[in-house]
Amino acid sequence: MTTTIPTPQHTRAQKSQTEILLRFVGWEFWRNFRMLDATFFVLVLPAAMYLMFGVGMDQGELPAGYGNVSAYVMTSMAVYGAVIATTAMAGSAAVERNMGWGRQLNLTGLTEANYIVGKMLMALLMAISPIVIVYIVGAFTGAQFDSFGHWLSSAALCLVVAIPFSLYGLAFALLFRSETAVGAASGFLVIFAFFGNLFIPLGGVLLDIAKFTPLYGPAMLARWPQTEGMLIPMQEGVEVQFESIWLLFVNVGAWTAIFGAICLFASRRRTSR
Amino acid sequence: MQTSVSVPAIAIESVTKRFGDITAVDDVSLEIRPGEVLALLGPNGAGKTTLLDMVLGFADPNAGSIRAFGDTPKRAASNGHIGAVLQDGGLLDDLTVGETIKMIAACHYSHAPVADVMRRAGVSDFATRKVKKCSGGQKQRLRFALALLTDPQLLILDEPTAGLDATARREFWDTMHAEAQRGRTIVFATHYLREADDYADRVVLMLQGRVIADGSVDDMTAGLQRKLSAQWISATDPYDWAATVGLTPEQVDYDAKLQRIRIATPDTDRIAEQLLAAKVIRHLNIVQPGIEEAFFSLTESTGQEVTS
Repeated sequence: MTTTIPTPQHTRAQKSQTEILLRFVGWEFWRNFRMLDATFFVLVLPAAMYLMFGVGMDQGELPAGYGNVSAYVMTSMAVYGAVIATTAMAGSAAVERNMGWGRQLNLTGLTEANYIVGKMLMALLMAISPIVIVYIVGAFTGAQFDSFGHWLSSAALCLVVAIPFSLYGLAFALLFRSETAVGAASGFLVIFAFFGNLFIPLGGVLLDIAKFTPLYGPAMLARWPQTEGMLIPMQEGVEVQFESIWLLFVNVGAWTAIFGAICLFASRRRTSR
Repeated sequence: MQTSVSVPAIAIESVTKRFGDITAVDDVSLEIRPGEVLALLGPNGAGKTTLLDMVLGFADPNAGSIRAFGDTPKRAASNGHIGAVLQDGGLLDDLTVGETIKMIAACHYSHAPVADVMRRAGVSDFATRKVKKCSGGQKQRLRFALALLTDPQLLILDEPTAGLDATARREFWDTMHAEAQRGRTIVFATHYLREADDYADRVVLMLQGRVIADGSVDDMTAGLQRKLSAQWISATDPYDWAATVGLTPEQVDYDAKLQRIRIATPDTDRIAEQLLAAKVIRHLNIVQPGIEEAFFSLTESTGQEVTS
């Protein structure tokens, strides 16, 4: 039986906080990259749907605002991918912490602040990926904006409007505390995306309902540089309508507040238990 | 910085922790010396986990102070002086066992060689298995490996064998025993009294947030009556016989159907001698009071005190 005294800490090389953070992000990246079932929805599906709706339906080259219809669909799909990413990343981060992984990490050199920074970096990376992929695919398949500035501003807006959806993912995680619930949250986004005018242009009663759903504002805002609020009509010959930017702000603001309130309610309920 | 011998591993001074109206830990003071193997015993809700959470820096006390190796618990934990086997959870299903260890190692300022840790915790054989597919015992070994990563001076185990089967429990404690022999300080909470009895050299008993007993297992069982049982083979009435050797009827319990007599007395040796000399019994059996009896006698007396 050996009775060696444990090696003292100071004899080994010490990592810096930055090195710990980078290694943590590296591991997080590897984990997410490997969970292909989840990353498929974020990375592949939006690009595939863009090819179906934006290129395959041969109105792609028709002009729409400061670009063409392909570009319009491209932005829509990039928003869709980005919101799935922020929803999933925020949700799974919260579930992990609930399950005690946060405590495990608390016993390491990774500080609470750096944990949050690391997770936000990951969420950002995951949200940017579908945007970049869809835009690259778009650029090679006929999506056109009138200027390079439109490309940049649309892409940036896709990212910005996706951020509040981290609260949406978080709300599901706090309410139901399971990875399955976070998966369901991402799943519901399909319905929101349909009503948010992301897949096919809506009209009539559906459009009236759409204005109250959480993806309507973000999608319209992301397409604003191209459309300036123009609603592409269902059939030809119908008068083109324009949406007010204020209504879009109210839509985004209200849903952000609702998601935030649910998060607060859920976390209070958890601590008072 | 080397921790000198005079500094206690953990110094808990008048610590109180409340959750709303509930006082989970009530004015607890405790000093844990380096090299000690201490068992924290108590029923559910006694405040064991709350106390350990504060020692690990997960929660702050409402009153009192805790120092770990002369530092705050949070700093001691993040610097790797304290390793902990946390209660269930705390693992990611999508990682393999080996990846989990490497990922946590990546987050430490410094750590022992991963292969070395895996071997000591006994996880090398299933290092490539996904956590999701591991058995309860394997997960517990993994948690143990994570706790060993920094070669911590203090190991904290919160109910480390809860939910494990008998074999897994014994294997776990064999490994733990080896670590104790390396000179590590070990603090474990358990509700398996046997584990406290077998592995701890100091037992702290908690009840309703307070420490109600603190000492070795022998200390705690010293004042308790031993029990003696045997099959009664004599025609004489056992109670009459007991009276002739100075036993009160309360000390004697006789089951006429099974012909079994039970005698509780601090002096089992003298009674046994007389029983055998009188040839009134056979199959004599003397039971040492275990920590179980100490536990119940202590919790009972305190319970009465509280309700009266």
